[in-house]
Amino acid sequence: MAFDLTVNRTVYHVEADSQTPLLWVIREHLGLTGTKFSCGIGQCGACTLHIDGRPVRSCSVPASTAVGKPVLTIEGLSADGNHPLQIAWTEFDAPQCGYCQSGMIMSALALLQQRPSPTDADIDTQVTNACRCGTYHRVRQAIHRAAALMKAQP
Amino acid sequence: MSETIKEGVDRREFLATVAAAHGAFVLGFWVPSRAAAQSAPAASWDEEPSTPEVNAWIVIAPDDTVTVRIAQTELGQGVWTSNAMMVCEELQCDWKKVRPQYASANRDARERAPEWTLNVPGSGATDPKGGGEPTFGTRDPRGISGIPDSLYRRMRTNAASSVKDGRYYLQLAGAEARERLLLAAAQRWSVPVAELTAKDSVITHARSGRTTTYGKIAEDAAKIPHPHPEQITIKSPDQWTLMGTEQKNLDVPQKVTGKVVYGIDVRLPGMKWAAVKTCPVYGGDVKSVDFDVIRTLPGVRSFVRFPIPDPDLTRGRIFSGGVAVIADSWYQAKMAIDKMPIEWTIPPENAAFNSANMREALLTALDRPGTVRASQGDIDDGFRRAAKIVEATYSTPYLPRARMEPGNATVLITNDRVDIWIGDQSPQETRYSAAKITGVPEQNVHLHLCHLGGGFGRNGNGPQAEHAIMIANANRGVPIHMLWTREEDFVGTTYRAMGMARLRAGLDADGWPIALEVRTGMQADGFGSDASFNTTSRYYVPNYRYTHHTTKFHVPVGTRRGVGQAANEFYRESFMDELARAAGKDPYLYRRELLSRTTLPYKNDMIKALDLAAEMSGWGTPLPRGTARAIALEERGAETNGMATISAMVHTVSISRDGKVRLERVDVAHETGFGLVNPLSVKKQIEGQIIWFYNDAMHQSCSIADGRIVENNFNRFPISRINEDPPQINIRFFPTQHWLIGMGHDRATSVQSGIGEAIFQITGKRFRDLPYSKHDLTWA
Repeated sequence: MAFDLTVNRTVYHVEADSQTPLLWVIREHLGLTGTKFSCGIGQCGACTLHIDGRPVRSCSVPASTAVGKPVLTIEGLSADGNHPLQIAWTEFDAPQCGYCQSGMIMSALALLQQRPSPTDADIDTQVTNACRCGTYHRVRQAIHRAAALMKAQP
Repeated sequence: MSETIKEGVDRREFLATVAAAHGAFVLGFWVPSRAAAQSAPAASWDEEPSTPEVNAWIVIAPDDTVTVRIAQTELGQGVWTSNAMMVCEELQCDWKKVRPQYASANRDARERAPEWTLNVPGSGATDPKGGGEPTFGTRDPRGISGIPDSLYRRMRTNAASSVKDGRYYLQLAGAEARERLLLAAAQRWSVPVAELTAKDSVITHARSGRTTTYGKIAEDAAKIPHPHPEQITIKSPDQWTLMGTEQKNLDVPQKVTGKVVYGIDVRLPGMKWAAVKTCPVYGGDVKSVDFDVIRTLPGVRSFVRFPIPDPDLTRGRIFSGGVAVIADSWYQAKMAIDKMPIEWTIPPENAAFNSANMREALLTALDRPGTVRASQGDIDDGFRRAAKIVEATYSTPYLPRARMEPGNATVLITNDRVDIWIGDQSPQETRYSAAKITGVPEQNVHLHLCHLGGGFGRNGNGPQAEHAIMIANANRGVPIHMLWTREEDFVGTTYRAMGMARLRAGLDADGWPIALEVRTGMQADGFGSDASFNTTSRYYVPNYRYTHHTTKFHVPVGTRRGVGQAANEFYRESFMDELARAAGKDPYLYRRELLSRTTLPYKNDMIKALDLAAEMSGWGTPLPRGTARAIALEERGAETNGMATISAMVHTVSISRDGKVRLERVDVAHETGFGLVNPLSVKKQIEGQIIWFYNDAMHQSCSIADGRIVENNFNRFPISRINEDPPQINIRFFPTQHWLIGMGHDRATSVQSGIGEAIFQITGKRFRDLPYSKHDLTWA
């Protein structure tokens, strides 16, 4: 089977079963390894990316879901690592092992697109990614900083 | 019993492919492929430098870029940065141009450490210039119970010891290189070396006004040995300019862009994927599989049955035998193995274990005499004279590390060489395993080390390497990427052993303990089972007895973050709260008084920690109903006169009437000792450990049914999210006069007792079995 996916504004022709979870198409067929596998059951959020602007746990949706819709992964967030979220994350030295952080950042992006000035309660309900290192304290501060940076942008 | 892939890639062809595709320069040294997903800055493993190294830790390029070889694994603790800081403090190079890279475990197999790293002073507790107490007692080539004499000495990453064990010789490595750079400049300019200064990679001869850079002189320095390396000394903390400052982790830019290469991200030309199933009851093996059922499924290539990994390679632990299905993609392999009929041979004695009968066995063990590990005074006399006796029994469950990155490794084996791409906390052990399994000598085993998506215990990775090596060994010539599912990761990990403790104290008429008996129980191979009970009582008691009681269970146990100390801290500090309540005294002042009655060498530092944490928290000031504070001391090593790490924490906890717990605020007083290498990393490690032990306290346990681990994914083994993060974490450091042991694994253990004490204060109920979430925490 073959289908096209538009990921990070690039069209990819994929030869795979379209029922393959999007995560594995992204990681194995497209070679975009920034999106991570951890639980495989849509629990932890390490595989979070965006389909059509919405955050999705890509281990648990078939690739066919994304056909004809723009997909955004951590690799497409910015050309050179200077998205406000990446700047804020770096400023607070948020990551520890870093494995969950791609998904965490993609969840934070979805939150900020929906709520440019999120409250702590907004963060609590919408950033539901698991981090085993316990980076939450810095992640929360980084989200607030990123919100401020994004508002300051023209 | 296995089918191997016919169309293997031969080494020469593989090398040609790599060279053509990536322009890699191959010259008598096989440069591994950079996978398609890796850009140059993200490639983390050893490469042949284009400029000669100054010494085994340091390569300086003409543009002054300093590559520092790191022998420890970055797993979130910041070791890539802190190890580099220790080297660069002495090197006096431009920190902005430092690039860490993994040290070569292969060179480590082939080269002996420079003489000047071999005689590192120990017992540096009271000497600011001391080497600390590295684990140099035994020199063990596998790096298990000591440190080898091989090139990079200690390559394992464990026990919060990277600074403790590495600092002296990492500083020396930087100093040796600096001295040789200065010598090279002195020779070039024909001036005395004493007239030169070095700062930020620039060498200056003030008298003549000449300057040069490290990059320009490095090639000369590489050729000039130091005449007296044994005379080179390291800086003491008062001379530090880089160490002791807050430095952001050097790899964060790669971590926020998805570019870091973890083991799971490794891609090689011709690589095939392996999914694995092992017998869910430890000690079990494959009885039969029916590969024909899945043979024609998409992408499926072959299968490999592999035995229980040789216990000699897993420190005696018995894992399970299993089977791997190899396919063109991992998802195809996983789908196929799920459909493959597999029958297991299960040892009935192991299948008979369940949480209830294991708990009974531990309770029975606690009733037996046990092994006496510490005995002071006359415990029986103490109890006879007691005005009041308090007794409590506590339990802690089996706990895995559950690191976010499931176990994996990529292995390519040919007849004379093994290549392994892996995130590994003990590469010297893995190298040994590879040689044992394949028959290829260790000198020909190449480990390409990757970052780990969480570590939390040296052998927490279980037999990931051994599985992958056995699978690849049956498919020589083909690179095999083995990846465990999350469920397999719960079988492949080692656990912190389930534990129980019974503490019994006799109090005098004023409520002060005059007898304390501590009994801990754990399976015999449990780690750190007697940690910090086995010397003396932390809190003063004239009559003290500590016994350890063992059972035999089948679950493979290992060094999980905090090891046995974490459980023991829960037992001890919980019991201190109970004693303070029984005595009608304030838990902070009760602890303080008992510490002050001891003769422990660092008692003043412990009291300082308690006082500072109490003060920071507003101890004693009123709180709303439903909110409570609890305090505890955390220390390791403070009973002896060596290195120690001391902190105290106050936990402010609220509980809603319907039983919802919130850790509202944590006030942390933590000592600096003579100096912290990177205080920012220390803060992050403290924050992380608060979450770690919050999860241990509130949510996490693995139970056993029919010999199997029941909770084997994050739906049943919960991990707290940002909504449970304490809104306030306040950390203050205070100076002390000894070296720290380390602080990466046993800080914030007090969250466990702290939440328990808060539950008691708010609800009136005392719970002694973790995690608390399984209890009714409601109150009226």
